[in-house]
Amino acid sequence: MSESRAEAPRADAVWDAGDLACGELILTLYGRMHAMRPGEVLRLVALDSGAPADLPAWCRLTGHTLLAADHPVYLIRRKEH
Amino acid sequence: MASKFCVSLTHSKDNTDKATVGFVVANAAVGSGKETMVFLSVEGVRLAQRGFADGIHEEGFAPLRELMDNFGKAGGTIYVCSPCFKKRKLDENNLVAGASIVGGAKLVEFLSDGSPCVSY
Repeated sequence: MSESRAEAPRADAVWDAGDLACGELILTLYGRMHAMRPGEVLRLVALDSGAPADLPAWCRLTGHTLLAADHPVYLIRRKEH
Repeated sequence: MASKFCVSLTHSKDNTDKATVGFVVANAAVGSGKETMVFLSVEGVRLAQRGFADGIHEEGFAPLRELMDNFGKAGGTIYVCSPCFKKRKLDENNLVAGASIVGGAKLVEFLSDGSPCVSY
């Protein structure tokens, strides 16, 4: 993946999702991102082995920006609208 | 890309694994911004009865009741197959939140724009 931790900005919020997976991870993440302001960055720790595939797909679906992915750490910027 | 997503679920206590995974996937869909509908038919219609899902808890997953509650709170809808429901003599006045009893036409209408549907 082209993103790297070194290029990542400071996170506005941190969430350790532990081993949550699949729909449980996605639906909780959905709510957490909606609670943030546009442009803010979430630092997510997701241990599930499906996360490296699911989180980029979720960002493509929802329009949020995956700034960095270094499993199990992900930086996601909330979309503007 | 289609904006809607359907999960067709035909099991409840006869296959708690499938019932659970159906709602996990539905939560992934609604959590990805899709207008998501779970279509309950055959034995799956029993899940539309308040309290029926209580106690169903597959290892490695959240309890089914919690998955269903979260689905409803996130805006997901549940369609319940009318003839399947009637055949089992279930109670229309004891439906879980967000569930409505429908005929096949509602399912066909939901899918008629080419929306995807996965089945469990």
